[in-house]
Parts: sequence; structure tokens; C-alpha cells
Amino acid sequence: MFYEEPRFLPGGDRFMEIEFGDELNLELNFRAQGLAQIITEQKIKGIIETAPFFASILLHYEPDLVSYESLKTEMRQLIRSIATLDDVELNSRLIYFPAVYLDPWSSEAIDQYIEKINPNKERDPAFIARLNDLSDVDQFVRVHSGTEYWVAALGFWPGTPFMMPLDPRCRLFAPKYNPPRTFTYKGTIGMGGGATAIYPVDGPGGYQIFARTPVPIWDMQQRLQPFNEAPYLLRPTDRMKFVHCSLKEFADIERRCEDGTYEMNVVGYQKISLKSYRAWVNTLDPNARF
Amino acid sequence: MLEVIKSGLETSIQEWPGRYGYLNVGFPWSGPMDSWSFRLANCLVGNPPGAAALECQFIGPSLKFQRAAVFALTGAEMQAKLDGVPVALGESTSATAGQTLAMGSAKTGARGYLAIAGGIINEAFFGSRATFHKGGLGGMEGHALKVGQTVPVGNASGVAGRKLKLSALPPIVTNKKWQVEVVTGPNDDWIDDEGHARFLGSDWKLSSKSDRGGFRLDGPDWTFTARATNKPPEHGSDPANIVDHGYPVGAINLAGQTPIILVNDGPSGGGFINPYTVPQCAFWKLAQSKPGETYRFQVISVAEAQARARAIAALCTATSIE
Repeated sequence: MFYEEPRFLPGGDRFMEIEFGDELNLELNFRAQGLAQIITEQKIKGIIETAPFFASILLHYEPDLVSYESLKTEMRQLIRSIATLDDVELNSRLIYFPAVYLDPWSSEAIDQYIEKINPNKERDPAFIARLNDLSDVDQFVRVHSGTEYWVAALGFWPGTPFMMPLDPRCRLFAPKYNPPRTFTYKGTIGMGGGATAIYPVDGPGGYQIFARTPVPIWDMQQRLQPFNEAPYLLRPTDRMKFVHCSLKEFADIERRCEDGTYEMNVVGYQKISLKSYRAWVNTLDPNARF
Repeated sequence: MLEVIKSGLETSIQEWPGRYGYLNVGFPWSGPMDSWSFRLANCLVGNPPGAAALECQFIGPSLKFQRAAVFALTGAEMQAKLDGVPVALGESTSATAGQTLAMGSAKTGARGYLAIAGGIINEAFFGSRATFHKGGLGGMEGHALKVGQTVPVGNASGVAGRKLKLSALPPIVTNKKWQVEVVTGPNDDWIDDEGHARFLGSDWKLSSKSDRGGFRLDGPDWTFTARATNKPPEHGSDPANIVDHGYPVGAINLAGQTPIILVNDGPSGGGFINPYTVPQCAFWKLAQSKPGETYRFQVISVAEAQARARAIAALCTATSIE
């Protein structure tokens, strides 16, 4: 749902959350990313930083420079002035990520969870396939890897993408683990709610997991060229496409990422607009599946 | 020029306010949890209030001065001794080259601060010297102090024997019960009236599974409004799930039924609701409480929370020195 008027919510003494709606939708994310961009460009007094997400934006402001109430008034006016985003075109890199679906590492983490935490946990790929009325795990793999993913936000951990499928035929839902998993391998690909993410480092996790990529999204050693400017790879408005690879290729690519000789597949000339996206989506049967 | 003899329990270089400006890529602020005590320590040695200094948690480090320096300790009472002689809290002290400052475990409070005239001058990472230990960035080689490292300190003289007025010190409690301010929101409309009454009317025990990322609280269950149960599937299946959104620093983040206060090294976003937020003026209380101690939450307005932060800032100046 899109809210008719954005909702302004306080977060302690230094934050304001603005909600535009409550679903995964490119238009809502354009709104959040668009507002973040304008705030940066116009250097709005008192705003220190922003964290745009799927359907909302978090503002960190300096209360010595602007009060909550006057910021709210200013933001309401600014949002009205950017009411139409139809003609906005955003630069959008497309990055190809080799991935092994139904990989042994996710399987190992799931085994560990079943053994130590919840013996009744249904294995993640089968669980997602069943919840989404797919015929089997193979169809789940086909559907999940059948779309480009939109990097709607970065957060949780430095450089971790929150992504949504751009193709409505590939929309999937999955609950999060409860309680969470204690271990997940770096590079594991998972889903929670309607979002897909990649784990940047080894660690605990709550998403359902089913694939792994050897290509890093976080590297403090900045070994590959796209990491030249920062230890994180992705930016909001990037797109990601998973490309199936074998275990043998995984090992080879992983080694080349470590020694800095892997050539990352980044496509940099494309733009995306809501108008052209909407026109394409309108030609599709929303209930169709691959 | 401070040699690390014993590291203590996750002693880290911090800078106030921390690594601002990178929430949109997921870097937390880091910075000192009790910025009140931190700023006072810097005032004592004549540094700017936010200059890089050490945060010592539960068990302090032992550090050898490689040259003479003026330093000050504030926050938790960590039984510090300089070559065996007890060092007073809240007072600037001189050390000569070769002396060792040995800190023990925290008796009152949980986090102690050590500022040195000239400030710590480790290399900044993305605009700040503050350490994000779990993330492996900032500070010394990305982490808390390790034995054998040398902490670089700037050149400045500093004056020994300066004392803080008692009225300027944060009143660390000794009865293990804390009154902690909260601001309602952002997601208070997901909790029903009984849920709010239960949150504000109960004691919440700080779990031992707490660190600079999050403070887990044990207490009664939460109950929800229709908004939490009747929602689109992309929110997730738990009543506390919401479409992934940004997390304010200080958010009381409801992970299922477990509230976790997201503190200085916490995540910048995720898929759980935040019914309340602990404002900056109460962070020193979180910093100085130990697992097993209890919190009782008291609602204040946004404007009141901002006024209290200003009142603390006004104390973190030279006017608080006797």
C-alpha cells in the first residue's frame, strides 16, 4: 500500500522515520532514494545523514540546528515538490554474481540448525517452494534466479544489500528463522519477508538460505577493482543477477577473488526509469511463474 | 606511545560523536557509549571534548607510558593504579616515562574512560578514529587493543591536579536499578495498550548476551495491535516483523518477543519494529549498567530528550572543573 500522505515518526532525540507505504515496490523505493538524493544535493540544514530503505527513509538530524516539528514541515513540502517521479532516470549498474544454488555450505548450516536448535525445521529451499506454491525445489531455483534484483538499500552490516526482485513473476515470500541461526557462511544468499540478501561475512542470520556466491560484497583488503574506493561493493539502485555456476567454478572464482585476479562482471551504461519499468510490468501476467 | 601490557576486556579507541555520515551503507556510529564521562575525561586533560580516547569495558587494560603525559579517568571505578599507587577518578594526573597504569575490574559502573592530553592519533577510517570492533574497522588495526600494540598519542602538555565538580558527574547508581528515559516511537502503533502498560510498568533485566551492538532485555511478553497481524506478506510472518527499514541508534528493537536496545555498534536497519527509542541523554545509563541489573523505562517527549542532551553537553566543558 502507498500512503496518501507520508507518515512522520520520531526515533528518540535525533531521528525521524518517514514511511511512504508498507510494501516492496520499486515506486516506493524510488521515493525514498529520490528524497535521500535531494537532501544530499540541497544540503538541507540540520540533516546529518539518511538511511533510505524499501518504503521508508530514516533521517538523522542535529536538534541544535533544526527542531523535529520544523523538519517535519520542511520534509512534507519537499516531498510534495517531488510528487512525480515518472520521468526520473537513475543510473543503475548491473552486476553478475556467479552462484551455486542448493549449495553444500547452506546445507551444512541448515543441518547444524536442525541438529542443535530446531529438529522440526523444514529445509529452507523445500520450505520456500511449498509456501509459494511452487512444484518443487528446482522450480524455486528457476524462479529465484530468473530475475534481476534491485538494491533498494544497504544496511544492517556494512555493505549488506536489501534487494527486491524486479520481475513480478519472481516474487517470493519466506518467514525469517525463529530463533535465528548461529552460523552462516560469507557469500550465502538468503531471503526473509520478500527481500533477498547476501551475507557479507560469516555470522549469525535469520534469512532462509539456499545458495552461495564466491564473489565478495565486502572486502577490507579491497583486492578487486570495483572495491577501489571503499570496502563495500554495492550502492543503492544497483541491480544484481545471479548466474548459475558449478562447484568447480566456485572454487576457481573464489581463489581468483582472493588473489585479486578475478574480473568482476559489472555493466555500467544502463539507466532505469519508473515509466519504462511500469510499462513493461503492465504487459505481464502477475500470476505467471517461470 | 602507550604500550599495551594487558588488553583488558575489549578496550577500544573511541571518538565522539563517532563515524557519522555512513548509515546509508550500514556503518554504525560507534563512539563512546557513555559520552558524558568520555567528554569530561577530555576536558580534564585540556582536549576538545570529542578527542579520541579509550573506552574500557568491565576489566580495564594495563598500559605503559613510553613518555611523560597527563591523563584522566572517568566513568566506572576500575581500581586504577599508577605503579601501584591508586589513581583518583575525575582528576587529571601526571605519569612519567616508564610508569604503568594498571586497571582492574569495574566496581561501580561498567565502562571507564581514559583520556590523555593530546588525544589518541590513530589513523582515521571513513572520517573517524572510533573502533567498530565486530566490523573490524577503525581503531587499532580495526579492533580492540591487543597486547604489544603501541597506541599513538598527540603532543600536548596538559595540567595535572584538575578536578571535576561533583555536580558535573553522571550519578552512577549502586542499587542496580536504573530509571531510563525513552521516547515513544517510531513503531508504537504496533503495540496494544496492555503491551505499552506492561513495558512501562515492568522491570527489564539486562541479559549477559549484550555488547556494544545490542543490549538484550528479559521481561514480560509483548502484545500487538491488528497492524502487526494483518499485513502484507513482505513484512514477514512474526507480529514484530516489518518491511525492512532503518533503525535509529537507541531503538528498542523487538526481535520476536525479545527487546534489544540497539546501541553504538548496532545494525542500521532490518525487519523488526522499534516501539520505543532510548534518547542520547540516557545512553550513559546503559553504558554503566551491568548484566543482571534492571531498567524501568520512563517516557519523555522528543523536546525534553533534546533538552536533557543539551544539559549534559553544557556540563562537558571547562566550567565543570573546580
